[in-house]
Amino acid sequence: MSQTGYFRAIFTVMRKELRDFARDRRTFLLTLLTAPLLYPLLFLGMNKLTNLRAETQLEKDLSIPVVGIARAPNLVAFLASRGINATEAPADYEALIRSQREDLALVIDENFAADWQAGKPAKVEIVADTTRRTGDVQIARVRNVLTAYGQSVGALRLLARGVNPMVAAPVNVGTRDLATAEAKRGIFLSVVLPLVLMLFAFIGGSHLAMDTTAGERERQSLEPLLATPAARGALVSGKMLAAVLLGLASMLLILVSFKVSASIGGGAARSLDVSFAAMGKLLVILLPLVLIGTALLTCLSASAKSMKEAQSHMVWLMLLPMLPGYALMAYPLKDTQLWQYAVPFLSQNQMLVKVTRGEMPSATQWAVYLGASVLLAVLLWAVAVWRYRQERLAISG
Amino acid sequence: MIVAERLRKTFPGRGKDKTPVIAVDDVGFTAHDGQITGLLGPNGAGKTTTLRMLYTLMTPESGRVLVDGIDAAVDPNAVRRSLGVLPDARGVYKRLTARENIDYFGELHGMSSAAIVERTARLAKALQMEDFLDRATEGFSQGQRTKTAIARALIHDPRNVILDEPTNGLDVMTTRGLRGFLKELREEGRCVIFSSHIMQEVAALCDRIVIVAQGRVVAQGTPDELREQAHESNLEDAFVKLIGSEEGLHA
Repeated sequence: MSQTGYFRAIFTVMRKELRDFARDRRTFLLTLLTAPLLYPLLFLGMNKLTNLRAETQLEKDLSIPVVGIARAPNLVAFLASRGINATEAPADYEALIRSQREDLALVIDENFAADWQAGKPAKVEIVADTTRRTGDVQIARVRNVLTAYGQSVGALRLLARGVNPMVAAPVNVGTRDLATAEAKRGIFLSVVLPLVLMLFAFIGGSHLAMDTTAGERERQSLEPLLATPAARGALVSGKMLAAVLLGLASMLLILVSFKVSASIGGGAARSLDVSFAAMGKLLVILLPLVLIGTALLTCLSASAKSMKEAQSHMVWLMLLPMLPGYALMAYPLKDTQLWQYAVPFLSQNQMLVKVTRGEMPSATQWAVYLGASVLLAVLLWAVAVWRYRQERLAISG
Repeated sequence: MIVAERLRKTFPGRGKDKTPVIAVDDVGFTAHDGQITGLLGPNGAGKTTTLRMLYTLMTPESGRVLVDGIDAAVDPNAVRRSLGVLPDARGVYKRLTARENIDYFGELHGMSSAAIVERTARLAKALQMEDFLDRATEGFSQGQRTKTAIARALIHDPRNVILDEPTNGLDVMTTRGLRGFLKELREEGRCVIFSSHIMQEVAALCDRIVIVAQGRVVAQGTPDELREQAHESNLEDAFVKLIGSEEGLHA
């Protein structure tokens, strides 16, 4: 078959598959619009939740149960001046903490007053379950206030003895609470955003890819198709091209919604680079992933006996883009080594994080990234074409 | 003209028993232009596999297929171009109209849109499908689906036509219409092969009958020749005698 015939067949198949798919209105709209609509919700919702947590837990008055409240009236008064109200703890305060009804409690030692008078360190215990993250912010806050109290009393004692308190503070250690919006932005950027983009780039066109291969076979229309003189390679390429175009359209919509939600969201959203140049870079980064996803799905669906079998691949496919994110949480890597840009998913992750932070990957990083991903996509495409040339594929049921 | 020479095809066995399944053992016949050749045999005789080898979907293990003198193993594309095929699997695209289904195949054959329109109109008239041509095929009756599948198989005006059990699941009137259509194809000088397990149908239509049982040709010839061969005046009795059992006759 001639070169023009080959390309003509590709476009014929692509046009038909897109038309066929677009007629299935509901699936079509779900495929195109799920991510763009979900994205702002996720984005704004997480932003809101992060801010809410910081506001309620850092600035609101905190009320904590204290055992032996009468033993240290000055400490209690100091806590109150910092927005922490002490209440007399019930006898079962430990059970309350275990059952998460209280986040933490303070125990003022029986000998607190005596030790205090004797100038010995007087004991105050924070009781909490450190495996529950809900108490993190409060515990840090109470600990800070207690330290501040200890330091100010210590300073007064030194002054009373005619010593400059600075002498006892050779190092000035500052801590910042991790619940601030600035710090959360890092996690949001490095995990959630690349994940959403990668997931939808990877399997956004999945329905079309599966429907046109496994589905076509199941509906018994593959055999007549393979009896036409159109080259097998052209048939499978046309189907993949349709899925890629759909994936790209969905990517564009996601990026638009990304831009819109970033411009209306406050806090972390403001720090994102949403210029058109950055959007273009994101698209270039995601395009190879769309190709890889489509080709992989086509290979899998062509090998599957039924649509059901093809769909059961989705579970592990959905996990794939998440792996580098989790791996990086457990073992953060600097994004400088070149090999990372050749590993599928990890490379996308690193590139996306760079671009959304407003950094530009170097030319070598671009080259390695694009080279490796396009090579993988071409390999998978070749496997899919090879599958379509096999005799077994044609026989349905 | 389609020539099948000593075709053989086996499939790898499944499950514990790994012995290969012999689908077609030794099938050879010649189907001439301007004739209807019927492939008759009980279910599981190897008719569909034989036809699949004829239209290049499967490669025979041994033997060869010649379509208008072209070896299917050497130039399968040329063979596909000169064949119109109604396979056993005849799914149509449900969300497209009958016309769009037919157009798609015309385009895959590399036809111009004007040629497709002209040929579609002729086929639609011959197959009496004008009233449902522009309806989405979802909800089509079996007969309407089969007609759509036949029209898209013949869109490129092929010299040779292969139909795998074309009357399966069709009512009497549609079957009669289809027979008329096959006769028209014969009048136009085409080479028509169709398979069936229904005796009467083959008897009513075919110039030549090839009887296949258990992957082998057990007899072939004109209906008269077959009757003579079996020394039976009734074609059905001849058929039973020739395949050596009544198996499949009532299927």
